[in-house]
Amino acid sequence: MTTTLIFTFAGIALIGVLGFLGRRRPAADLAEWTVGGRRFGAVTMWFLQAGEVFTTFTFLGLSGLAFSGGVAAMYALPYIPVAYVMLFFVARRVWSMGKARGYLTQGDFLEDRYGSRLLGTVGAVIGVVFVLPYLQLQITGLGLIVRLVTGDATSGTLSMVIGCLLVIAFVLWAGLRGVAATSYFKDAIMLIVLGVLIFTIPAHFAGGITAMFHKVAQLQPGALTIHSGSNDLTWFITSMLSSAIGVAFITLPHSWPAIMSAKDPKVLRRNYTWLPLYELCLMFPMVVGFAAILVLPKKTSSNGVLLTLSQRALPPWATGFVVVAAIATAMVPAAGILVGISSLVARNIARVRNERGQFWVNHGTVVVACGLALLLGIFRPDLLANLLLLTYSGLAQLAPANGLGFLRRKLVGRWPVLAGIVVGIGVVIYLTFVEPARFGTFNVGLIGLAANLVVLALGAVIERAVVGRAPAATDVVAATGVPV
Amino acid sequence: MRLYHVIPAIPALALVLMPFLPFVNTDSLWLGLPRMMVWGGAWCVLLTLALLAAESLMASQHAAEDGDRP
Repeated sequence: MTTTLIFTFAGIALIGVLGFLGRRRPAADLAEWTVGGRRFGAVTMWFLQAGEVFTTFTFLGLSGLAFSGGVAAMYALPYIPVAYVMLFFVARRVWSMGKARGYLTQGDFLEDRYGSRLLGTVGAVIGVVFVLPYLQLQITGLGLIVRLVTGDATSGTLSMVIGCLLVIAFVLWAGLRGVAATSYFKDAIMLIVLGVLIFTIPAHFAGGITAMFHKVAQLQPGALTIHSGSNDLTWFITSMLSSAIGVAFITLPHSWPAIMSAKDPKVLRRNYTWLPLYELCLMFPMVVGFAAILVLPKKTSSNGVLLTLSQRALPPWATGFVVVAAIATAMVPAAGILVGISSLVARNIARVRNERGQFWVNHGTVVVACGLALLLGIFRPDLLANLLLLTYSGLAQLAPANGLGFLRRKLVGRWPVLAGIVVGIGVVIYLTFVEPARFGTFNVGLIGLAANLVVLALGAVIERAVVGRAPAATDVVAATGVPV
Repeated sequence: MRLYHVIPAIPALALVLMPFLPFVNTDSLWLGLPRMMVWGGAWCVLLTLALLAAESLMASQHAAEDGDRP
């Protein structure tokens, strides 16, 4: 246990140091801090974009999902490549608009495209509220990892505190460049660890990968199909579509700084072409989850199966590497989320006019948001757990606004879009907390999206009847003089 | 919709339809692996090839359009 603990804290410290190395001097302004001056090349962009995909959920959650739901875990494989097909075609336009009009956040985009500060603020508030639980998930995940391998709750809490302090420090110092610097390390160690685990764990417990799946086919054939239960076919397809819509329409606020930081739209398109191959790594933790089906009792906590099997199959020093990889998948995405949240608050919610003030509000938000997530993670880990159910479903409600904003022609004005978002969010909240069983395993985000689109369409009809025409594309252009 | 839109749509559709295909969503194995994993993995690889083809088609079409301009 001591060896693992030494590796754990050394790993946390190393990630913090790497984050600081992302920048030699502190950033001079918010654009430099948030999007690295829009100068990131192909390699950095690759790790930034891939970094959004590989989180604690990927590392621990997917093996757990494979353990509890078998191939239902495969829902996580197709949605990102499917979303990349759309991003392949729209990324150039989004990047060009961002460069021409100086967008740093999703709120900037909505405000500019619809000529509405209110819509920009609403989009930003939704982004912050629905992503905060996701931030807490990363921090709680960090504590869980350490607690699982050491069996000591105090070590888990201490690791959360140290991890948060280091993330705050390197994010304040280096901004998105710190996230990029740590992303290299995170993906490298994660791939090495998963590459080792995918062979050693099936070999140790079942005589190899194919032997393991033959045993699963004999003993638990249901794990190889999508079948009835909480992870049934309806859950699979609707969860996949909801997540794909969220990614394809760039509704996650921390995706915006990554896209805006590219030095060239060709870099984005090249990454969207090749990243589907990288997504194949998502199947590695799933294989570990299948091994757990054969080895662990059904009542085992699903999130811990990867670490439990690693401890049983590997020596302590090797388990230490697994823990460092798992910690990296918590700390690095947490840093990226902080960059996304803080820039939304500074640019679209607090709306401080002078640049220096905006910079300080941004940095204050980093400290407050991470501190809040840490305190809730320690004292009330279940408080935001319910809100987490809303993260993807809630953010998906911004998809129509973003999608219509991508178009050259402005088809609809601010009010129908705003009404659609409000109704969509209301439906998602109602179905999540008041009547969660109403539609069974159907993803509530899609139901909210349907209501959102109906209201938006009705609003557009009313708008045309009242105004007499669709809002002209030049309504916004005239304000800035930059056509997009 | 142009050809370079259609080509990557094919693997995307194959991925979305994965759980509905009875010969994929079954407890038999392909190459010693669950069929869903083999199908999903193969179409991810083909998606990259389709996007490369789409990029090439777009580039040649834009070059042709630029050549037509006076």
